[in-house]
Amino acid sequence: MLRVEHLSKSFGGVRATRDVSIDFPTGSLTAIIGPNGAGKTTFFNLISGHVRPDEGRVLFDGADIVGLSSLEVVRRGMARAFQVASLFPSLTVREALTAAVVSHLRASGRVLSRFPVAAAGRRADEIMDLLGLDPKADVLSANLSHGDQKLLDIGLALAMDPKVLLLDEPTAGMGSEERWRMIGKVHRLWEVTGMTVLFIEHDMDIVFKIAQTIHVLKYGAVLAQGTPDAIRRNQDVIDAYLGTDHRLSETVGEA
Amino acid sequence: MRVSLMRVSPLRAGLARDVAVAVAGLALLLALPMLFPQPALRDFLIYFFAYGLLAMSLNLLVGLTGLVSFGHAAYFATGAYAFGLLMQSGLVSIPVAALAAVGGTALVALVIGAICVRLKEIYFSFITLAFQMFIHSVIVTWVSLTGGDQGLRGGIPRPPILGLDLNDARVLYGTCAVVFVLCILAMRQVAQSPFGYTLRMIRDNPARANFLGVDVTAMKLGIFVFAAAMASVGGLILALFVSGAYPEFAFWTTSGEAIFMIMLGGMKVFLGPLAGTLLLQTLNHYVTIYTEHHGLVLGTVILVIVLGLRRGLADVLYDWLQARRARRAAASDPVPGSFEPAPLADGALIKGRTV
Amino acid sequence: MNLEALVDCLSSASCAVTQVSTGLIVGMLLFLVTSGLSLIFGVLGIINFTHGAFYMLGAYFAFTAYALSGSFLAAMAAGAVGVGLFGMAFERLIMSRVYGRDILMQLLVCYAMILILDDGVKLLYGGEYRMMGMPDAFALPPVEIAGGFVPGYYLFMVGIALAAGLALWLGINGTRLGKIVRALAINPQMVGALGINTTLLYAGVFGLGSLLAGLAGALAAPIRTLTPGMGLSILIESFIVTVIGGMGSIAGAFLAALLIGFTRAFGAIGFPLFVDGMMFALMALVLIVKPSGLLGREAA
Repeated sequence: MLRVEHLSKSFGGVRATRDVSIDFPTGSLTAIIGPNGAGKTTFFNLISGHVRPDEGRVLFDGADIVGLSSLEVVRRGMARAFQVASLFPSLTVREALTAAVVSHLRASGRVLSRFPVAAAGRRADEIMDLLGLDPKADVLSANLSHGDQKLLDIGLALAMDPKVLLLDEPTAGMGSEERWRMIGKVHRLWEVTGMTVLFIEHDMDIVFKIAQTIHVLKYGAVLAQGTPDAIRRNQDVIDAYLGTDHRLSETVGEA
Repeated sequence: MRVSLMRVSPLRAGLARDVAVAVAGLALLLALPMLFPQPALRDFLIYFFAYGLLAMSLNLLVGLTGLVSFGHAAYFATGAYAFGLLMQSGLVSIPVAALAAVGGTALVALVIGAICVRLKEIYFSFITLAFQMFIHSVIVTWVSLTGGDQGLRGGIPRPPILGLDLNDARVLYGTCAVVFVLCILAMRQVAQSPFGYTLRMIRDNPARANFLGVDVTAMKLGIFVFAAAMASVGGLILALFVSGAYPEFAFWTTSGEAIFMIMLGGMKVFLGPLAGTLLLQTLNHYVTIYTEHHGLVLGTVILVIVLGLRRGLADVLYDWLQARRARRAAASDPVPGSFEPAPLADGALIKGRTV
Repeated sequence: MNLEALVDCLSSASCAVTQVSTGLIVGMLLFLVTSGLSLIFGVLGIINFTHGAFYMLGAYFAFTAYALSGSFLAAMAAGAVGVGLFGMAFERLIMSRVYGRDILMQLLVCYAMILILDDGVKLLYGGEYRMMGMPDAFALPPVEIAGGFVPGYYLFMVGIALAAGLALWLGINGTRLGKIVRALAINPQMVGALGINTTLLYAGVFGLGSLLAGLAGALAAPIRTLTPGMGLSILIESFIVTVIGGMGSIAGAFLAALLIGFTRAFGAIGFPLFVDGMMFALMALVLIVKPSGLLGREAA
């Protein structure tokens, strides 16, 4: 479904991504981990068309999508949620989701019908149902709790009916209990929809518990990749994580 | 109740309600001069229609999309001049001239908008102002066509439309009222359409809208052109009424007043700018009676309201209602703390978070 | 359109010299106004729409000081310093209250201020045109250069504007205070955390920007007719210069101001009716082809 080949990107003198090649099979659930500054978010920016790589290819459904705008990438079926939930504060949950679905249906320019369009409204209801947001349907996005904001952010991505979903730290800024609830929802989402899901995560327990495959980035390069068991035993990874980076990433998180 | 309404077909329910309100509003506007037959009231209301359309259409940009244009009066003036010139040519009827003037203005807006809507917030404001002053300078310089400083002289003929004699002040008033209400209804429909909600997304968080597949530039350009077209109808009404067109229509103060009307009335309530129009027009009316120093008085009033009240009058009401609703919802919400009161008290548009 | 006249002028040294000098002074005034606008935007992140009104104020301050004292120096000082202080007061009392608020509020505050200043000037000086007149010190026969005549005052003006521009550039790039101001533009919290009074610094920068507009107004007073509302056209032109030169670039502002100055001077001969159109076409072209401006870094 998604494959990156020899992806590289530098900002000024800093090489944020170095020759990264990864294959994400259709329907897989993959975690991207790594210490602070490992270039995880940059990696997402590169594949989602937000930032153009210096070198390398991003093959989506067999076609190279490097150079396409983020708009075109979304329309081909790759959507993302953000580390800091990126929402529409003055819209309610239902309005925001419906408007996103409207965009996906290419109906954003319609002026002769009324909002919400019936088909879009139904799809928005489904998404709210899937994420358990229905009790908050008429709450303004700005007034949602942190966790619900993160859920809505994912919901907006789901409105794109994506084949590939990128989640940048879905559990960022949450307490332990809330994290497990959140990741449970993500996992269920993956099971129900059969999407290809990539997620960045800091909590190792979560990663080892739910990911099928794990890719470890360090200094922009792939340090290791494999199943949770393989990664758990990988000496390089242990070294990377038992260095000062580990403690830092636990206490500070990736800001 | 909400659920049952949704089931009925929201388009018909929403539109039917708006049409009903529009018909009631029109009836009120038509009845007013019958109840108070002074010509001064009629004149006042025709000015209100013209500037009301200017303010309402500007709010499609400012309040709905978050595009703070400082040059909206350019299209008000373009509509007035195009219509006046076409009518003076004697070649076309009023409806044809009106349609051509609106279409022509939309074209001008398309060209200017294509350059402006890509710009960042603050640049957008001053480049739109710059283009407005360009149009003003064209009007003032092209004396042979526009009459320059003196304005479009010689009157604008009003041949009858379908047997309606627009030289009769009452017929003219009625026609303007109908056009005004139809335009407001059209703007309401746009604001409530999928397009209108897409514009709200752009206002709140354009980067996120883009990541959700919204072509932000195209959408902004679309509303820019539509708002310009609606403003041109305002200009056209004024030109028809005063039987001329003047460079002041395109002067920057006209845009400034329109912005103040929006602020004064409020941006969050659809008809808020009309309340602002009414207030400012009344203020202007009395200020010009009592003093020559209109600028000093108006400037001071604006400062007091912006620095003191900090938001429009309709917004004060709206925020109060929102806060009350939020309190009620909080009272019935089983999870405490998950629902903070609406942070809408500042009167400012809620800033979208950037990605 | 009279391109023949333009070609004639360009091929005659005397006409070309005269027009070049006209273009230079238009350009220099614009450069002063624009660099003030750009400075304020660069550090405070706001467009000071009252900048044109400050230019007008500078001219009237100079006019008054000259009428009272008869001293040209006093007139220049009154225009520049007077407007600088006025700008600081405006920033402290009014503008600072709308920082961080909706841009609409900033626009409205500026709109109100322009109305008040224009009308205030009208109240004090009357609505009709005023002339300050050329100071005696400059009542010399014009300097002859290649058959063209250039008033001595023009040379003085160009000199002052260049000196002011150079001082600004050196001040920002070469002094400790300049370093602080540049840091303030990028990270105000950090500057504040270092124990520097950012409030004062903001007022100071706003004042300095206003001072440049006031200086331009004062310099223009002897050669322009004064009228309420005279600041509007220079405000619009300085927007155009900002776009063409690139926001935040002093060198870009200089280049673009000269470009506009020459367009005005030679356009007045070749295509008097299309001078404005030409300037706007230039601006539109830059916005389309290079949105960051000729020398700017940040896209508009």
